[in-house]
Amino acid sequence: MSKSIFELVDNLPTNNVTTMMLKSLDSIVPGEWENTVGFVNTIRKVTGETDEELIQQIGDRAVWLYNDKSQGYRRAMWLYQTVDRTDRALGSAALANKVGNKIPLIGGLLTKVTPNPDKAQSLDLCIKLVVELVAFCQINGIPGDSIGDFVGALGDYSGESLMRMAALICVDGLIPLGPDFLLKAQSTLEGIGPKELESNSTFSGVQEEIPGGNTRGKLDFIGESFDSVKGWMADFTASKNLTPQKVMSNLQGFLEFSDSKLDYVAAFIDMSTNYYEHTGTQTLARRLIERAFDEI
Amino acid sequence: MISLRKFLVTLFLTSCLLLTSCAQQAPSRFDGAQQESTSKGATAVSDNSQSGGSFNRYFPDAADGYERIYSQEKQGFAQAKLKKDGQEIAILSISDVLNNPSTVDKFKDSADNISGYPAISQGSTGTAVLVNDRYQVKIRSKDSNFSQSDREKWLGKFDLRGLSKLK
Repeated sequence: MSKSIFELVDNLPTNNVTTMMLKSLDSIVPGEWENTVGFVNTIRKVTGETDEELIQQIGDRAVWLYNDKSQGYRRAMWLYQTVDRTDRALGSAALANKVGNKIPLIGGLLTKVTPNPDKAQSLDLCIKLVVELVAFCQINGIPGDSIGDFVGALGDYSGESLMRMAALICVDGLIPLGPDFLLKAQSTLEGIGPKELESNSTFSGVQEEIPGGNTRGKLDFIGESFDSVKGWMADFTASKNLTPQKVMSNLQGFLEFSDSKLDYVAAFIDMSTNYYEHTGTQTLARRLIERAFDEI
Repeated sequence: MISLRKFLVTLFLTSCLLLTSCAQQAPSRFDGAQQESTSKGATAVSDNSQSGGSFNRYFPDAADGYERIYSQEKQGFAQAKLKKDGQEIAILSISDVLNNPSTVDKFKDSADNISGYPAISQGSTGTAVLVNDRYQVKIRSKDSNFSQSDREKWLGKFDLRGLSKLK
């Protein structure tokens, strides 16, 4: 049986490779992300309430809403969990090798990761974006193909949602694909056919939840979604002066690597972190609690 | 006389049981809700509740530097953020009590009213009115400067009369 929402939030880690990576990106979206863990703690933080009886009522209602499949929360959680395919053993090995506050990306750790070819990496980026769009609509209730509402809401992204988007641009865009990551993603989408999309493992993991009917329709949906958010991503990148070098120096806050190994850094982060699932769980819990308090 | 072998097997099985039970999640104060809400036929939302989109028109308009951004729209529920100077200062919502009928109980002892509808305060951040025993309109502060009287003032800006006619 799948886990309850309070177990998922209670079990969020306070310190692992994912949280180290997210903390290293703090200066890009200063103060937006705080690693709030624990269900009751999250209720207190989100609502500002301290009365135990009220917290109980809010939590109970949130549990009910989460478990009602018609409400979309479970589907959103599944998407956030599925799009991150983390190798937990690699994450643990990396933590075990930690020297001081840093993980040296050398030796055995390096041999365990294989960089993604540009095409697969571009698709990963686009599919993660679409997952954000679909999960957003499942959580907030805007019909699943309303791209316009999503783009409007992107401007209003804050907290852990904004951190998730920042991390997406940094570690799934700039680091593996370089400064022209949006162009590369665009040309990959334009050059790919349904067959090739089907053979991509990130796509096949989540494809059942991507609108569009058949694979051709889903590919169109991915293309349209990408088209509508690429402007926002370009503006975000420009307004924060984000470059691969800048992101690299942020990541060097927790990871030791040589500049010639960027591909490996990207592959290591891809395999050892689950930042979509981590921050996605936090986003979902927040939205659920905000609704639960209004309904009691 | 229990043979050593039987004793060891029993010991082994008991330790397995103990180990697996230790691995289970500790009991939670939300276990009751979890159990009830996952039992057969349990739902958190009634098909008969109004669509969330039908509530949007009764929200107050934003003016004088305030911004209203719709944030959630689900069956029987609509929510918007109220912002000033880019900062979130309050959450506004309308919900259909059909989805959570016991919520009306708290209005029974209400001594206050807003535009003639019973009003209560909830916790340290919330104020709500009940319209026609059917719709709960609530404002919660997200900024401590947005006071209870601000919440009461903004509740009065909802089209409560219009909402009371929604069937």
